[in-house]
Amino acid sequence: MAKKTSRRVFIRRSAAAAAGVFILPEIIPASAIGMGGKRAPGERIVMGAIGTGSQGMANMRDFISLNEAVQFVAVCDVDTRHLEVAKRTVDTANKNNDCRTYGDFREFLEKENLDAVSIALPDHWHGIIYTEAANKKLHVYGEKPICRTIKDGQAIVAAVKKNNIIWQTGSWQRSQAHFRRGAELVINGRAGKITYIEVGLPDGGRGIGTPPVMEVPPELNWEMWLGPAPKVPYRGVSHWDWRWILDYSGGQLTDWAGHHVDIANWGAGLEHTGPVEISGKGVYPPEGIYDVPVEYDFMCRYANGIEMRVANASSLKHGMGTTWYGDKGWIHTDRGNILTASDPKILEEVIGEEEIHLYKSENHWQNFVDSVRSGTQAIAPIEPAYRAISVGLLGEIAMTTGQTIYWDPEKEEIIDNPRASRLLNRPYRKPWTQPNF
Amino acid sequence: MYRKFYILLLTSLLIAFLPSCKKSAVSKTLIITGQDDSHNWEASSSLLKQILDETDLFSSEIIITPEKGGDMQTFTPDFSKYDLIVMNYCGEEWTDETNAGFEEYVRNGGGVVIFHSASIAFPDWKEYNEMTGLGGWNERNEKDGPYVYYTRNELVVDTTSGIAGSHGEQHEFEIRTRISDHPVTKDIPVRWMHGSDELYQQLRGPAKNMQVLATAFADTAFGGTGRHEPVLIAVNYYKGRIFHTTLGHAGDKNSPAMHCAGFIVTLQRGAEWAVTGNVTQKVPADFPTAASAVLRTDLKEMTLTEAFENIGSYDTEKSTKYFTFLRDQIRKAEGDEKILVKLEKKMVDVLKDPDATNEAKKLILRELSWMGSDYCMPVIKSLESDPELVDDVEFALNRLQK
Repeated sequence: MAKKTSRRVFIRRSAAAAAGVFILPEIIPASAIGMGGKRAPGERIVMGAIGTGSQGMANMRDFISLNEAVQFVAVCDVDTRHLEVAKRTVDTANKNNDCRTYGDFREFLEKENLDAVSIALPDHWHGIIYTEAANKKLHVYGEKPICRTIKDGQAIVAAVKKNNIIWQTGSWQRSQAHFRRGAELVINGRAGKITYIEVGLPDGGRGIGTPPVMEVPPELNWEMWLGPAPKVPYRGVSHWDWRWILDYSGGQLTDWAGHHVDIANWGAGLEHTGPVEISGKGVYPPEGIYDVPVEYDFMCRYANGIEMRVANASSLKHGMGTTWYGDKGWIHTDRGNILTASDPKILEEVIGEEEIHLYKSENHWQNFVDSVRSGTQAIAPIEPAYRAISVGLLGEIAMTTGQTIYWDPEKEEIIDNPRASRLLNRPYRKPWTQPNF
Repeated sequence: MYRKFYILLLTSLLIAFLPSCKKSAVSKTLIITGQDDSHNWEASSSLLKQILDETDLFSSEIIITPEKGGDMQTFTPDFSKYDLIVMNYCGEEWTDETNAGFEEYVRNGGGVVIFHSASIAFPDWKEYNEMTGLGGWNERNEKDGPYVYYTRNELVVDTTSGIAGSHGEQHEFEIRTRISDHPVTKDIPVRWMHGSDELYQQLRGPAKNMQVLATAFADTAFGGTGRHEPVLIAVNYYKGRIFHTTLGHAGDKNSPAMHCAGFIVTLQRGAEWAVTGNVTQKVPADFPTAASAVLRTDLKEMTLTEAFENIGSYDTEKSTKYFTFLRDQIRKAEGDEKILVKLEKKMVDVLKDPDATNEAKKLILRELSWMGSDYCMPVIKSLESDPELVDDVEFALNRLQK
């Protein structure tokens, strides 16, 4: 126990170093050297997981596969079937039967003594649980989009900063070489001065109409799943289809803004700001409980004149991914190792020593572990994640109101539009209260 | 001085409004039908008439050609009296004089809609085929022109030899808008589900001055080609404009293809474009999306009155369409205070209605929470004591009071 405590102290102090607190180099223990290498069990980062559905489990497996860099000791989910699978996975990795399970994150956060937590939940839960984990001084690997509303996002950013924790957003595209290369070419002007960006995200798919009200399955705590969202009867949408309902998500737009808008911002140097003017239209299903836009197309103008069009892929020439247009050509990047340009020579350009070199990570989960150990910022910190999803959320507001939205990215306020301003927030249902900042 | 100014202003306003008045003039429309054993042309013509006339842009009459083997000499419509001719015909040939009259009508700028099986008609009438762009059956083949279709994202003009025209079994299919900046397809979703229909494939023709506005994937599982086949086509022929829809198969009854809101709206828009070159109609709230097809039982677009007559008895499980219509109206207001206040008053009336369902009230409260004004506050507060609504009232007040 004593050993664990001292390591935790080390990690905290290192986090303080990242924030500019002076720290003597000789106190860095041996355990911090040789990052990424195999480590003795006692030196592993002790982790827990909140949300062990498909994405939560994918992240957990990615962490476990890191050469014993982390050790999971506890898992939390509102679905006992998820919990069983998660516990089995953890116990198999640890070769014991000790993984603790929780159905309530409050108890999980209260009882567990962890270094870090991996969180993968429906978006409407992010505000409360991200801030509470940060307030517990846990380092967080958190899934994108980091918030359902701008207000939630502001609270999360503030909590992460105030508690000085290491934060890694699940926008793992940053840790893929071709995305980084594309962004690095762009930020060093290889496509010239960037004037226009296109971001293609998935189209919405088939609906499910309105499924009947069903009995809540015994393994699911539906009330806890809903949490701060409006109370509605159970229609079987808890484990995937929640993504198509506005109470919990903004659909493909907000799911994917955290990926391709994030990459767009990274390359264009817009990571710490937001658009000043947003306008566009969405297409909404006329029938059924899905109410997110199945198609969306909006334009964002930034203070420096850059315009960014965000649309469902079928509406765009390049389809999915990010395309930066500059006065010397364009560069496009997408999943599947896609990196193309108007002139292939652009892609052969060498970035000189004196030029901008973007943060390099070859494995998103390892990068989190390394950052926790070294106390340095991870590749996908909180503010860029907040700025990326803000684009999606402001687009949602522009489409909902049918209006051009004017946004102050410094004050983070909508200008002169009280109606649209109300949409920056989704009130919480009692007994839950919105995190403050 | 001021008076002069006002007169000037009035005159210029009048002038500004003149063109739009002209546009909204009712277009005289002739639906030509008859002689088609494969289709219920009586039913489809009647539906076409209702669909067009419902817009108040068209006033249609139906003319039936002589029966098979009848005397075509008696079929001599005066096309020049009309602004729009809708072809719902694939029977025997007309006389040369009638053909010449039709050609002259289109050449001079007359509008034409080619509906479904009309692309089968007149294989040997060269000018007609130039108007349709693509056709099928009736021994058409490579001599009549190339196949035109899309692979995933590329338009293909394919001159390989082979038959023209076929279709697999009827099913619901997804339509993909290929040109979004054409007046007919502007603001229409890129992808939308169409009610069960025959999907024409392997059409071929001269394909001159033709734009493929939309395609549908002909799935091999239903006997399709595996290509994205043209379903909405725009053709320019001299001064005339032709809108060609391969959709709308009318069987014995119901005809989901013709009750599909997507079919109805694209036909109405295509017809307007054929007459004026522009489209003034807005895309309605119930236009289908990739999520699902939407059928209109009575063919008509919902009105605000109809929506509010039904919203009070809202039942999610029956249909969400009245509420999605309301949301669409709110979006379309684009922040216009007058429209929003008008909607708000009607929404508040639902909140006041003791017979309105809680489900309806909850949804209304959710919308009012952001678009409501002081007007709705007393009524919302009066619902606070209702245990069924307390959460939703709190949600609304939380937003409105900040």
